[in-house]
Amino acid sequence: MAEALILDSEALNALAQPRERKVLASRAATVLRFAFERRALIRVPAPVLAEVCRGTRFDSAINHLLNNPGVCVFELTRAVAQQAGHLLARAKLSSAHAVDAFIVATALQFETAVIATGDPADIRRLAAPFSRVGVLAL
Amino acid sequence: MAQPAAKLSVSVPDELARAVRKRVGARGLSGFVARALAHELEREGVRTLLIELEQTLGTPSKANLARVRKVWPKR
Repeated sequence: MAEALILDSEALNALAQPRERKVLASRAATVLRFAFERRALIRVPAPVLAEVCRGTRFDSAINHLLNNPGVCVFELTRAVAQQAGHLLARAKLSSAHAVDAFIVATALQFETAVIATGDPADIRRLAAPFSRVGVLAL
Repeated sequence: MAQPAAKLSVSVPDELARAVRKRVGARGLSGFVARALAHELEREGVRTLLIELEQTLGTPSKANLARVRKVWPKR
């Protein structure tokens, strides 16, 4: 299985609106460049869309980014959702952190992965047991 | 549900064809080629996105690249 760069909501928003979020976007663009050079896949876990999509008027930048064939949504399957539940239990976190758990569970579907995130604390806690998952704070 | 398949006729260097067949066998060729084409299309998309981003933001700084390199797991 390939390597992957996993984008959370902050990373996705930053890449979608680079002029409005220059500092975060510069960091996100850097990890994107690095991923490209390693031939890694770029994936957005489907539940992240629930955090960033806020209606037709607001979604155009996100839709533009997701229409790029290189930025693919990773669908939420039963196996990934169940793994996310196990991660929450292991980290002793409530389901309020479900989206973070879906993100880490998505990363675990790849041989190695880096999660680019604006909110690294809980992601790090969930991913801590797995050396094949890196967490990059934007 | 499986997507309908399209038949393609392409020419590749003989040596490359032999290497791929040796790796995946005749029956695995279609899947291998489909994955390779999908991956290259994705890479073209990312390349385009990077060009757009770097026009807006400039090229990545060495400091930012070093941060990324530090967290990327070894294979």
